Amino acid sequence: MTASSTPAMVELQGVAKRYGEVNALHRVDLSIAKGEFVTLLGPSGSGKTTLLNLIAGMITPSSGRIVIDGRDATTLPTNRRGLGMVFQNYALMPHMTVFENIAFPLEVRRLSKAEIKRKVGEALELIQLGHVANRKPRELSGGQQQRISLARCIVYNPALILMDEPLGALDKKLREQMQLEIKRLHAELGITMLYVTHDQDEALTMSDRIVLMNGGRIEQQGTPDTLYFRPETVFSAEFIGSSNLIPGTVEIGADGAYALNTALGRFAAPAPERAIKAGERAVLLVRPENMALADAATPASVAGHIEDSILLGGVVRHFVRCADGSSLIIQELNQPGRSGAHRGEAVRAAWQPQHGRLLPPAPAG
Amino acid sequence: MAQSSSASDLSPWTALLLLAPLTAVMLLILIYPLGLTVWTSLYNGRFSFDAYVELASSTLFLRVLRNTFEIAIGGTLVSLLFGYPVALHLAAQPPRKRTAYLIMVMLPFWTSILVKSFALVAVFGNQGLINQFLGFVSGGTLNVPMMFNRVGVILGMINFLLPFMILSILGSLLALDRRLILAAETMGAGPLRIFWKITLPLSLPGVLAGVLINVTLSIGMYITPALLGGRQDMMVANLVDFYTRQTLDWTAASATAVALLILSGLLVALLGKVRGSAGLAGAGA
Ligand SMILES: Nc1ncnc2c1ncn2[C@@H]1O[C@H](COP(=O)(O)OP(=O)(O)O)[C@@H](O)[C@H]1O
Ligand SMILES: [Mg+2]
Repeated sequence: MTASSTPAMVELQGVAKRYGEVNALHRVDLSIAKGEFVTLLGPSGSGKTTLLNLIAGMITPSSGRIVIDGRDATTLPTNRRGLGMVFQNYALMPHMTVFENIAFPLEVRRLSKAEIKRKVGEALELIQLGHVANRKPRELSGGQQQRISLARCIVYNPALILMDEPLGALDKKLREQMQLEIKRLHAELGITMLYVTHDQDEALTMSDRIVLMNGGRIEQQGTPDTLYFRPETVFSAEFIGSSNLIPGTVEIGADGAYALNTALGRFAAPAPERAIKAGERAVLLVRPENMALADAATPASVAGHIEDSILLGGVVRHFVRCADGSSLIIQELNQPGRSGAHRGEAVRAAWQPQHGRLLPPAPAG
Repeated sequence: MAQSSSASDLSPWTALLLLAPLTAVMLLILIYPLGLTVWTSLYNGRFSFDAYVELASSTLFLRVLRNTFEIAIGGTLVSLLFGYPVALHLAAQPPRKRTAYLIMVMLPFWTSILVKSFALVAVFGNQGLINQFLGFVSGGTLNVPMMFNRVGVILGMINFLLPFMILSILGSLLALDRRLILAAETMGAGPLRIFWKITLPLSLPGVLAGVLINVTLSIGMYITPALLGGRQDMMVANLVDFYTRQTLDWTAASATAVALLILSGLLVALLGKVRGSAGLAGAGA
């Protein structure tokens, strides 16, 4: 997936981690290009932290090889990997002032006092917190503390910064502000960043590339657009964005056109990216924003009645109950003077067949 | 204080009622004898400070007082020196192993102080294990006196002091957020720098608590110096014993006891002040 023209910053080759009986991470291959912003996205327990800590050297892999910046780092101790890490709980030293905290990695590198002073000043400038240099971390808000811990990271210019849910402890508004700030720092400094989150919006906002994790494996990886518009599995489709999923059996016409036979009818669909044979089970994915309320029957539409409509500012969401008891979500733009849909009203949920997407069925269990 | 909010829901009368039994017991076993001691030190047929004036000019008392502080502080320092590495090691163990080791740390508590003292003599005494070995390898020329002198007192005391020191340091070390260490490691810090810059400063509250407990305990030590010390290792508690049982001078005994109480109270207050400022420095956990 990575551009082969830029050399890899991190290269994982068949890296796995077991804890006794638990396979925290199955054999994973992953390459992160220099300067890239990669996000590990996945539900809790999917192995994101494990993967990050393997790269940081806090745990050693059960098998596989880790190459950082062209150097085999599989067994290299953490303090010699030259990385930066931002923790969810900030991990600032409580007994040191903000200045001393940011100076710490520079002291480790034995810089002169004058140089330390200059660099810490610059780092504080970059995060616009110069005025708190002499305070203790606990005298700062969560957002300020996290910015300090970012500054502590960028001050020594590591080749790679790892972040494990760094904004998880902040409230929504601050989180969005910090997302932009981290993006800005990434753009300005060109540091490679590997970012862990379980929040799909955060991943979509920030990443050059999203690596979606599921049960200790990489489910799918690609740009935010790819993951949103071209999910390859039901898991990907459900984890990123909301989705309407209609299960059925694949039919392939004489002309090679695909269709899915479902309890709600037979729907034409574009050919899937990974071949599915005729007669096999499959799932048709239609994003809610690709569905609309329609009065008349169209080639791809389902009859039902409105169970609920909710207004989300710029958009409206209709929940449509179909004849077989399943439920579909329709999302439309909210217009002034929009004729309201009423609860219980009989409607049709319609979509353009080319907006459908055939996916292999979700594995049982 | 969030914890006290539920207590303040009680009506004052209920609170008083709940406190009454403990107050009565404390009055009976602590305040009454203490008051009696103070009274005895001031009243001997008539009311006077004579006993204190005499004490302040008594070379015996002053020498014993200096002994007491030297032994208490020396014992505490030795206990800190041995206790810190043990606490560090315990903190690094997985919980189950740590529990097993902690039981070993606590073992001395379950042994009578007399038995412990004799065991120490058997090991460190003139005919003890160590001197027998030294005599054997040196052809009978080497004999290091380690019992019935200052060394003996301190050896005997740390036996008793160490568990307190280890436990309070361990508490601080276990409260230390492991992610701070991990953060320091990712920033490239080696183990020595991590110890000096992070582990040690953040464990200072535990160290100071341990020192405080050790000093308090050892200042009033009585049996160990009597059993394992020499004539010149008399401590204030032994002096009190001397006055009460040998010379039957109850006024001097009481005045000595009160003086010790006040002086050790001052020392504890001083150490407590240091501890308070360390807590403010952000080392608290
Ligand atoms: N030290 C450990 N011992 C045993 N199991 C662990 C340990 N660390 C993680 N795991 C297991 O590995 C799996 C992945 O964990 P983790 O990487 O922390 O997931 P995430 O960060 O995505 O929430 C989970 O099932 C977790 O229970
Ligand atoms: Mg995690």
